[in-house]
Amino acid sequence: MNALSPDTKKKYDLNFARWVYENVDGGDRLSMCMQCGVCSGSCPIGDQMDYGPRKLFMMVRAGMKEAVLKANTMFNCVSCYNCVVRCPRSVPVKYILHGLGRLALQEGYAKPKEVDNSRFADAFWWSVSKYGKTDERLVTAKYYFSAGLSEGIKRGMGNMKIAMGMIKTKRMHLGMPHKTKKQGELKAILAKAVEIQNRNHGEG
Amino acid sequence: MSNGSVNSQTILVVGGGIAGVSAAVEAAESGYEVVLLENAPTLGGRVAKLNRYFPKLCHPTCGLEINFQRIKKLKNLKIFTMSSVAQVAGEKGNFTVSVKTTPRYVKANCTACGACAQAAESDVANAFNYNLDTVKAAYLPHEMAFPMRYVIDPSVIGTPEADKIKAACSYDAVDLDEVESTFDINVGAIIWATGWRPYDPAKITPYSYGESPDIITNVEMERLAAHDGPTHGKILRPSNGEAPKKVALIQCAGSRDYNHLPYCSRICCLGSLKHAAYIREQYAESEVDIYYIDIRAHDKLESFHVKLKADPQVSFRKSKPASIEVGDDGGPIVKGEDTITREVYARPYDLVVLATGMEPSNAQDRAPVTIEQDEYGFMVPHQGDKDGMISAGVASGPLDVSMSVQSATAAALKAIQAVSSNA
Repeated sequence: MNALSPDTKKKYDLNFARWVYENVDGGDRLSMCMQCGVCSGSCPIGDQMDYGPRKLFMMVRAGMKEAVLKANTMFNCVSCYNCVVRCPRSVPVKYILHGLGRLALQEGYAKPKEVDNSRFADAFWWSVSKYGKTDERLVTAKYYFSAGLSEGIKRGMGNMKIAMGMIKTKRMHLGMPHKTKKQGELKAILAKAVEIQNRNHGEG
Repeated sequence: MSNGSVNSQTILVVGGGIAGVSAAVEAAESGYEVVLLENAPTLGGRVAKLNRYFPKLCHPTCGLEINFQRIKKLKNLKIFTMSSVAQVAGEKGNFTVSVKTTPRYVKANCTACGACAQAAESDVANAFNYNLDTVKAAYLPHEMAFPMRYVIDPSVIGTPEADKIKAACSYDAVDLDEVESTFDINVGAIIWATGWRPYDPAKITPYSYGESPDIITNVEMERLAAHDGPTHGKILRPSNGEAPKKVALIQCAGSRDYNHLPYCSRICCLGSLKHAAYIREQYAESEVDIYYIDIRAHDKLESFHVKLKADPQVSFRKSKPASIEVGDDGGPIVKGEDTITREVYARPYDLVVLATGMEPSNAQDRAPVTIEQDEYGFMVPHQGDKDGMISAGVASGPLDVSMSVQSATAAALKAIQAVSSNA
């Protein structure tokens, strides 16, 4: 992530918790976690995570860097915000998970191509940054084919019936993708956002 | 009081719960003129509503009875029930306090014979039992009420029922023409012992309070277990009146939660342990699960915790439940993560008791004075000799009964110092 990033070669890193407190968005609140379990108990898909947020946070504190960053927890979060609104200690659980997910991708613990959520996010962002809008057909297609050509065809064919139904009822159109009007302004906004992001992380 | 100065040596105590009564009695027994105000028709406050209390699991009637005996011997202690502070003016040594009294409609010559209650027809919610049942519109607040006088509910005033109630009294103790009145008193120091109220469990939306009658609060549990409560001391499911077989006791329902009460309310852990004991005493087959973040059985009562832990029918589950849902059969289902086994559970119960915490009474309806309060609405205990305002009991922070009494004794001494320094 930057020069302060913990040593990627270590399985355990006793500075990991401090690094997370200081560098991950909302990470400073992580020190307030009292391990009550409300986040993991509130999670609608907790059974599809290697570790629930509560346990993952305990692992951060224990310095289990490798196990944390190899977990699928961050990528399976669906941002329902149950944990954020219910946390009795105001820990922004979801934000911290996303920050850890970003770290895992940047440091190579997770491969963007292998993470379903990451590939979907890429497809989504591609459409938003290109058109200023999400075109569901293109996002879906891009996401399906991100898993490979044959997998893309297989998934596309599998959903053909639904697609035809949606076209019939005009829930999905067949024309050119919808676009925002001033494409130049969109590009300028996005460039500024990138600039701010780089600046903030540079301060780290 | 005739000390040559304009200053008053009278001490006003606001609130007639265990802290206020203790402070008033201590100050009066030390020879000072004391005025005690209580909002409700009877003294005793929250403690009177407990079934049993720590440290020795006595019935609170015992402690109240001792205090009432002391009160009766004190000619220099004046008590006004159904009265509250409307306004405070002045300063230490010379406060003018406006007291508002709402009508009881029953005079001091009431003998508590109960004829008025027999004549009354309509039912009103029973505040003493946290509205779990009803009483007749002419009622004695509870069997240990002090003063031992009936009250007529304002809802029947002006109706033919009120006339029937009046006619039933053979002592002419009913006065339907009573009206709200205000009078001023001059005092030198004020002890605020305004106490607390249970945190509103409906605000904890994931816990579904109000959506199933079998989800109750800790204070309601005390009434269910009390012999003069709505079930005459038998702990029963409010939904169907049956004995509960599986009971969940949920700690920190509101407390230690930035969304609700950020502080630890201090009394709930031992309160819930006591509830587990109530249930286990009544039902040999029953199973009790205590959900906790960590057990804070403070004071010298760790032994009580240890004793319950030895009971194989009582399980301690380290988990703050994420939600309580209502099942198809209408019974509550507790959901969350067991933080020791990492098991995500959904367990049905016959009865769920929420250990709601203590919210200072002044948190919303602030005292009509400028007294320093912390961010949660508790009154910061003042140096009585500085400004003549002292807080006592739970008005100053979450305390149990014995600590409230200690705090009240300290407040009485500070008030005495405050008025004495004026002489």
